Amino acid sequence: MNLVTLQNWLDNYSFAVLFITMLVYWGVAAFPRIPYLWALGTTGMAIANLCMAGLLAARWLEAGYFPLSNLYESLFFLAWGITTVHFVGENMSRSRLVGAVTAPVAMGITAFATLTLPSGMQASAPLVPALKSNWLMMHVSVMMLSYSALMVGSLLAIAFLVVTRGQNVELKGNSIGTGGYREHSYRLNRRSELALETASTQQIHNGSTAVLERPPQPLAEPLSPQRLSLADTLDNISYRIIGLGFPLLTIGIIAGAVWANEAWGAPWSWDPKETWALITWLVFAAYLHARITRGWQGRRPAILATAGFFVVWVCYLGVNILGKGLHSYGWFF
Amino acid sequence: MRALLPQRFFKQELLPLLADLRLAIVLLLAIALFSISGTVIEQGQPLAFYQANYPEDPALFGFLSWKVLITLGLNHVYRTWWFLALLILFGASLTACTFTRQLIALRWFSRTWNFYGQPRQFQKFALSAELDHVSLEQVLLLLEKKRYRVFQRQEMLYAHKGIVGRVGPIVVHASMLLILLGAIWGSLTGFMAQELVPSGATFKIANIVEAGPWAGPQLPRDWSVRVNRFWIDYTPAGVIDQFYSDLSVLDQGGEEIDRQTIHVNQPLRHGGVTLYQADWAIAAVRVRVNNSPTLELAMAPLNTEGKGRLWGTWVPTKPDLSDGISLIAKDLQGTLLIYDTSGKLVSTVRSGMATKVNGVTLAVVEVVGSTGLQVKADPGIPITYTGYGLLMLGVVMSYVSHSQLWALQQNDTLYIGGRTNRAQVAFEREFLEVLDQLSQQKEEPVPPVLVES
Repeated sequence: MNLVTLQNWLDNYSFAVLFITMLVYWGVAAFPRIPYLWALGTTGMAIANLCMAGLLAARWLEAGYFPLSNLYESLFFLAWGITTVHFVGENMSRSRLVGAVTAPVAMGITAFATLTLPSGMQASAPLVPALKSNWLMMHVSVMMLSYSALMVGSLLAIAFLVVTRGQNVELKGNSIGTGGYREHSYRLNRRSELALETASTQQIHNGSTAVLERPPQPLAEPLSPQRLSLADTLDNISYRIIGLGFPLLTIGIIAGAVWANEAWGAPWSWDPKETWALITWLVFAAYLHARITRGWQGRRPAILATAGFFVVWVCYLGVNILGKGLHSYGWFF
Repeated sequence: MRALLPQRFFKQELLPLLADLRLAIVLLLAIALFSISGTVIEQGQPLAFYQANYPEDPALFGFLSWKVLITLGLNHVYRTWWFLALLILFGASLTACTFTRQLIALRWFSRTWNFYGQPRQFQKFALSAELDHVSLEQVLLLLEKKRYRVFQRQEMLYAHKGIVGRVGPIVVHASMLLILLGAIWGSLTGFMAQELVPSGATFKIANIVEAGPWAGPQLPRDWSVRVNRFWIDYTPAGVIDQFYSDLSVLDQGGEEIDRQTIHVNQPLRHGGVTLYQADWAIAAVRVRVNNSPTLELAMAPLNTEGKGRLWGTWVPTKPDLSDGISLIAKDLQGTLLIYDTSGKLVSTVRSGMATKVNGVTLAVVEVVGSTGLQVKADPGIPITYTGYGLLMLGVVMSYVSHSQLWALQQNDTLYIGGRTNRAQVAFEREFLEVLDQLSQQKEEPVPPVLVES
């Protein structure tokens, strides 16, 4: 089969599938009771993920090198990464809301790549000498995966901000572990809800949890687990996925520095792309530290993560649009 | 007492301030913010550029004229005193944090495992429960199956897993100090040189661009390098495929001791010094005019105002030098353009071919390229790379969530509680699973339908 035809088919198809998937996920968020809708969304995401993987594989076969040399390819790699991280997030949180924020972004990226990008920029072009190295695959793919993870994590932080608007919240997950303690207000406020929850959980678990089997006793209430709320879950999954993206970003930047040092003896040259990768790193490092700082918890880290979302975009795309040239390390060629 | 004062100031005032997390966050964000300015304003341009683009009236945003820009050093942000001061402050904060917070956290490992012996101690956990008719033994077996390290004392139990998640941040901070140290050591003891050498020439490393105060021992004294040949491979479409330099390292007697062909991404290393393929130029053109011997004419770069690179030379076509032609080359593909004295393009010639101009036969034998080499020695690299390795290891370790569980058996009741530092959602699931399995174990026999959940 003709690889170019296959590519054209796959990129349009992944866009169309993601568009439908986005609508399905929004439907899931709006009407959680419709059966099979969530499964449909997940299936759509999986199909789109495979389509984009196929597209990139076809590119690799056609050009003979790892398909991350131009904007078109990297956009599809990014969208593929976002759909992949989506599955990580959905699996971690078992929450239907993950797709509602990841699908539109993945759809937007594929739309931009297929519809907006001129065909001249879609064609694969030969690599410049500076990029002819095995480091390309290592450095760029890790960077792109970190962008995907950081974007999904920040999107969930935005979702968290939307869910908790107007509330005072205390975050739970961080490196020193201040979370995990019982909120004292909980038992007073949720007394009636706890009974409801008990009933519904009992249906799901077939009454297998010992605690839940006991009839609620108003006076000497036995200890029972205090479940995480939707906001807690969103925040924690956002934190975990940013926590996944941050090591990837660190490894990607280090791989770039080592490559630059091995190839032309300058690990760091403050080129705009490098600088923005550092800025991204600094913003998310600030996010991670804000989570363990007294007085900075609550919604503030999520606001930082939201800013991080835009910083990642500037780092990825903005640097080129600023007219500062591509991240062409071979500055003299 | 007086002598103790500075020490007390350091310990009680300065150190806590430097180790303050809020300062760290502010510094992280400040470095990010100031770094942005260097990506928006063009860096390292000549003064005229800023005068043209940042006029005094009207000033950009009402204040950013070229005078303000130059005074603040915004034309080279990353080398200004205030940016470096910010980095040094950040380094100080990192050091203070590493020693006062991170290394202190290591004490966690030396403590004796704390067991909880009072049921009320379980009330503080969000995830805690009490179960009847479940033995501590069951809990122990179950947690061991879930890869927890379990400790037991009488009727009390403590279990944890993911301890690397506690060590990770310590490794991260220490390794960043190591990278910083490597960079400082490298800048003190390393040097950087640039050489532009024509094909066939031999050179000693002499054009030092940067050198640290202790760079002396790194400078190569007893060897030189001969450029046997420099060439460029082009793709069929005429785009540069790769640059190559065939280099020989010569000892003091001129004997070859090493020979390698380098290209971008493939440098030559000798005696702690690395030679990188970095730049290129056209050095000369070898021509014959009529029946003359082969003449080598140096080619000079032409000012194209940033629109590509051109080299040119002048070839006399009359014995009294009253007339001649200009030969212009733009790359090493072999095609040369010929202009007459009035600046008109009259012909083109390929190397190895001849053409008739101004009544003479001009044969171009060869276009000679020169290789641009970046020469570097950086003794800080082993330290920096160790730091890189540890940093990568540390950030990955830091992803792991440290989960801890406590259990207490009193009479017929088992109290169980637990917490984790990062993955609350996953831990909650695991904890409920543990409760499920424990309560299933006690109601035996278990109908198969109930097991599935």
